[in-house]
Formats: sequence, structure tokens, C-alpha cells
Amino acid sequence: MAEVNLKNLTKKYGDVVAVQDMNLKIPHNEFLVLVGPSGCGKSTTLRMIAGLEEISGGEIYIGDELVNNKDPKDRNISMVFQNYALYPHMTVEQNLGFSLKIAKVNPSEIEEKVTEAVAILGLEDLRKRKPSQLSGGQRQRVAMGRAIVRRPDAFLFDEPLSNLDAKLRTQMRTEIKKLHQKLKTTVIYVTHDQVEAMTLADRIIIMREGFIEQIGSPIEVFNNPVNVFVATFIGSPPMNVIECEVVNENNNLFIKIDKDMLMPCPPSKKDKLKKSPKVYVGIRAEDIVPSENSTDAEKKGWNFEKSIDLAEPLGTETQLFFKLNDKDVISRMYNPRVIEVGEKIKFEVDLEKIHLFDHETEKAI
Amino acid sequence: MFITCLPGIWIFISAFRPNAEILSKPANWFPDNWTIYEFTQMFSIEGYVSVPAFDYLKNSIIISLTSTIIAITIGMMGGYAFARFNFKGKNKIFLGLMLARAVPGISLSLPLFILWAKLGLINTSFGVIIVYVAMNVPFTIWLTDGFFRQIPKEMSEVARTDGCTRLQAFWNVELPLAGPGIAAAGIFAFLLSWNEYALASVLTRTIASKTLPIGMMDYLSEFTINWAGMCAIAVVMIVPAVILTFIVQKHLVSGLTFGGVKG
Ligand SMILES: Nc1ncnc2c1ncn2[C@@H]1O[C@H](COP(=O)(O)OP(=O)(O)O)[C@@H](O)[C@H]1O
Ligand SMILES: [Mg+2]
Repeated sequence: MAEVNLKNLTKKYGDVVAVQDMNLKIPHNEFLVLVGPSGCGKSTTLRMIAGLEEISGGEIYIGDELVNNKDPKDRNISMVFQNYALYPHMTVEQNLGFSLKIAKVNPSEIEEKVTEAVAILGLEDLRKRKPSQLSGGQRQRVAMGRAIVRRPDAFLFDEPLSNLDAKLRTQMRTEIKKLHQKLKTTVIYVTHDQVEAMTLADRIIIMREGFIEQIGSPIEVFNNPVNVFVATFIGSPPMNVIECEVVNENNNLFIKIDKDMLMPCPPSKKDKLKKSPKVYVGIRAEDIVPSENSTDAEKKGWNFEKSIDLAEPLGTETQLFFKLNDKDVISRMYNPRVIEVGEKIKFEVDLEKIHLFDHETEKAI
Repeated sequence: MFITCLPGIWIFISAFRPNAEILSKPANWFPDNWTIYEFTQMFSIEGYVSVPAFDYLKNSIIISLTSTIIAITIGMMGGYAFARFNFKGKNKIFLGLMLARAVPGISLSLPLFILWAKLGLINTSFGVIIVYVAMNVPFTIWLTDGFFRQIPKEMSEVARTDGCTRLQAFWNVELPLAGPGIAAAGIFAFLLSWNEYALASVLTRTIASKTLPIGMMDYLSEFTINWAGMCAIAVVMIVPAVILTFIVQKHLVSGLTFGGVKG
């Protein structure tokens, strides 16, 4: 029951900067997801909040309290690790009750809270088992149970689902979300999986090399990525990003999206493109619509035709691969039919849905 | 197995027969006369008739047990520190410890004798204990370091977020997990001390500090060797070691395989 506040948080390992000057306020009850490629400093951030890693600079507040110099035990947080880290020599119920036993809670109350936790997580029949006698999913549940019995101010999750198989991962993802709705506690959740981030988060933080690239709701970061990195990191398949020249013909600005193919510059972006010779064009696969599927009755979109290199049918959709400026580009075809390799297909793009990024800074224009 | 056991069996049998029979030719395997004469002699209450085995046994137990407990305690702390903390010169210290282990004990016996003589530690249990602790610590550190490394560091971290101090996390989680390994290290240290001869022979003089292996030599006199007595005292030495090994056998096995992964 507390907000977590990070001020100029920095972590250095010798010359390696793992986390750089991070500022972040996590309100009470928020489900915050830190996402980014491996090595970007997510775990380090989490471990500093937990008190397991010394901080090199900045401040961490939990509630109103400065916790920089507090031991993990005094921060009232619970952490769930990727490898679960269950106590192998204790039964499930001993694992769950351990924190309360250490806090010298009386046995009847421990029993009560453990019973409550096993009920929430459906572990009733496994109480007397040792971790070695549990499946991966059950271990994961015990790890979460152990975190919830002490009702911490904040839950810290470090890639808790990455050791599970795909099916179980989806299932546990839903359970974590439900658990959060039930417990109403601040959650800081680390993952490298953008799907997990999108589905779980109230707010996503995308990190790269120790820096925060963008903070926002899943929809915000998906619709308005601030740079090429975020644009290609969030969303699946990744956003198509094509390096293009900007061409001025008869005082009209065009983007040269392929050999002999000029796409008009989106009207709203014209002013900003005037001075750039080059630009990165980002188009999501679902925004390159095969014309045969188009619902755009007025045909306002810009049309082009390309021959298909490869078609991957996925059932609900078929992903069509072709090249623009020698770059592989994907389009999603939602009413799939059999596509021949080399077949020429007409596509349509709503110009207001394309993203433009500065050629030098890679920032959104 | 057979080859290791054979002398052992012979010792056992010989401990229970008169000296004359042992030396008889041709050697016969089964004694004609069973006797516990040598044992009664060793442990006779009204003053020792042959060799004061009871005192030697007492010395052996005190010295081995105390030095093992100290060596294990230090080894555990040292091993934990090496496994969990980063400090300056860590690798060098570790290498130093291993090198210390590589020096043959006997080469130190003369300098040690002179030093101990100056400090008045010759012929005291305490003097021997110190030497045995020094001898065992590098070994116990090396072993327990291996065992603690096997335990993921998340174990103690999760315990600390669960409300433990570092010490509580060690006590409640890491120590129970490393327990079998530490027991194994303890056995090794104990047996090393229990059987040690070279240094003890230099540092001990009388029943005040002589241990069983040294005491055995009491049966060697200038002109005769009391084989029966020697075998009897050997039995006194072997039996506790074997019993102890059996008690912790289970731990020893799991401990050794546990540590085996690390090598
Ligand atoms: N104990 C450490 N010593 C040195 N460098 C470390 C240590 N832990 C992490 N790092 C470095 O810090 C950076 C961030 O690591 P981490 O927070 O674990 O990344 P993530 O969890 O996002 O994959 C990486 O470059 C990593 O190599
Ligand atoms: Mg990580």
C-alpha cells in the first residue's frame, strides 16, 4: 500500500552504467512493467528497489520513506524471481509461512494466512509437498503465494514467467493480472517480452542500455512510439521501418518509399519534413492493407502494388512479405486466401497512420 | 576392496590373540586362543600395565574433535565469504590457502617444533589443536566454498526480502542446504586429525598430549615388538573412525556428489 518513487537512480558496475539517472513515480496500486532487451538494466533497477543491490546514486522512496540505506527486510517488499527460489528444504506451507515465522507472527495466525494464500492460488492439495515434487507452474504459484502472504507494500517480479512453456505462461499471465486486481497492491514487473508487458501493464516503461526510452500506457506506446527503438520493440510483428529519401517535386513533398515509387508526404507532417533529405518511415503491418480487404470505401488511402516474396498463413491472418527499398516489409491480410509467391498484390496505406522518424536522431517527427 | 580389507581383518584378528601366536610360523589365520588380554592391559584401571591407551584415546578425541569443530567453523565462515562476497585480493588469498595446503606438513615439523618449544606449546593438546586447525582450515574452506556456490544466491536474497537479516538467511536457508556438504568436510577434517602422525610425533611427548597413532609406537621397544598390543590399539583407533563414518555416510555421499559437480 504505497507508492514507489525513484529519483535520479543510477547504478554503475565499474565503468559499465547499468541504470542511468532514472526518475520514476509509481503510484499506489499501479501495475508497472519494465520492458527492454536483455542487459538493459531492468533487473538491476528492481534489485535496487528491493535493496539487494547497492545504488551508486539517487534516491529510492517507498511510501514517504527514504529507503536507500535500509535492508531488504525493512522495505516491506516481496520479490518473485525467475527461478522461483523456493526453499528446497521446506514444504509448500513452510515456504509460504516463512516470512511470517521470521516476523514472529503467532502460529495460529500463520496457519490462517497460509490457508488463505493456498486458497487464492489453488495449492490446497500441495501443502505438504516439497518444491522438488512440484511442476514448474506449481512452483511459480508457490513463489507468488510466498510473496502475497505478508501483504507487502509492493511486489517485485523479475521475469517470473520466462521459465514456463508458452501455454502455461499465458495462463499464469492471466492469473497474475487477476491477482493484482484482487490484492490492489503496487506491482513492478520486469520482462523482456513485450506481449507480457502489453497485456499486464497499466503503464509500460521501455528501457534501453540503462535509459528510459518511453513511459506510457500500452496503447500510448503502441500508437505513439517516441523513436525507432520503441516502434520496433513494441508490437508483433515489429513495425516496418524503411529508410527513405525525401523528394520535392513541383513544390510537393514526396517520400521515395521504393525504386520509382513516391508516396505523398502526410499533410500533417509536411512542415517538419521540408528540411530533411532522408527519413525513416514506420508502418505497422496491419496498416499496410491489401486493397481487396479494404474497408475504406472512399479510397482515401495511398495505393501501391508489389509482388509477394513469401506468404505465411497463420489462420486468422496471413502475413505477406515483400521488399521496399530493399527492406523486408510485412503486411497483414485478415481475410486470408491462397497467395502465390510472386503474385502482384495491391496495397493501400492510410497516410495518417504512418510514423515518421528523424533520420539522425531516430526520434518521432 | 579385498586388498584394503585384508590387513584390516588381520589386525582385528591379531588384536585378540597372544603375541606368540602372531609370530608363529606358518601363520595361521584363526587364532587358537582368543583373548582380550591386550585390551584389558591397555584400559586397566589400576594403573596401566602396558600402554596408557585410555589417555591416548582421550587425547585423540579431544584433539581431533576440537580441531575439527574449530576448523569447520572457520572453514564455514571463510567458505561462505569466498562464495558470496567480493573483496580485494580474493583470488590471491584463495590461491594462498591452497598453496598452504600443498606444503607437506612434515617439512614444517622442525621449525614448528622450535617455535612451539619457545611458546611452551610442546606436549600440550592445545599446541596440537592449533596445528591441526591450521592444517584443516584451507581444506574446509575449499570444500564449503564449493557447497555454498552450489546454492543459488537468490536463495538468500529471497530470504532477505522475506524479512531475514543476512545472518538469519544464512542460518535458516543456506546452512541447512549446505549441511550435508559441511558434514562431509567435517568428517574429512576429523579423520585427517585422527590419523595424523608426522606432526604429532614431533609435538607430543607424554600422556599429556600423545594421540593414538603416536601411542602405538609405545609397543615398539628396543628389542621386541608387541604385535598384539599394536593391533589392539589400532582397533581402538579404527573403530570410532568407522562408526563415525557410517553415521554420516549418508550425508557424506550426498555431500560429495553435491560438491562433485563443481569439482
Ligand atoms: N554484478 C554485475 N557486475 C557487473 N556488471 C553487471 C552486474 N550485474 C549486471 N551487470 C551489467 O549491468 C547491465 C544491466 O544488467 P541487468 O539489469 O541484469 O539487465 P536486464 O535484467 O535488463 O537483462 C548489463 O550490461 C550487465 O552486464
Ligand atoms: Mg534480468
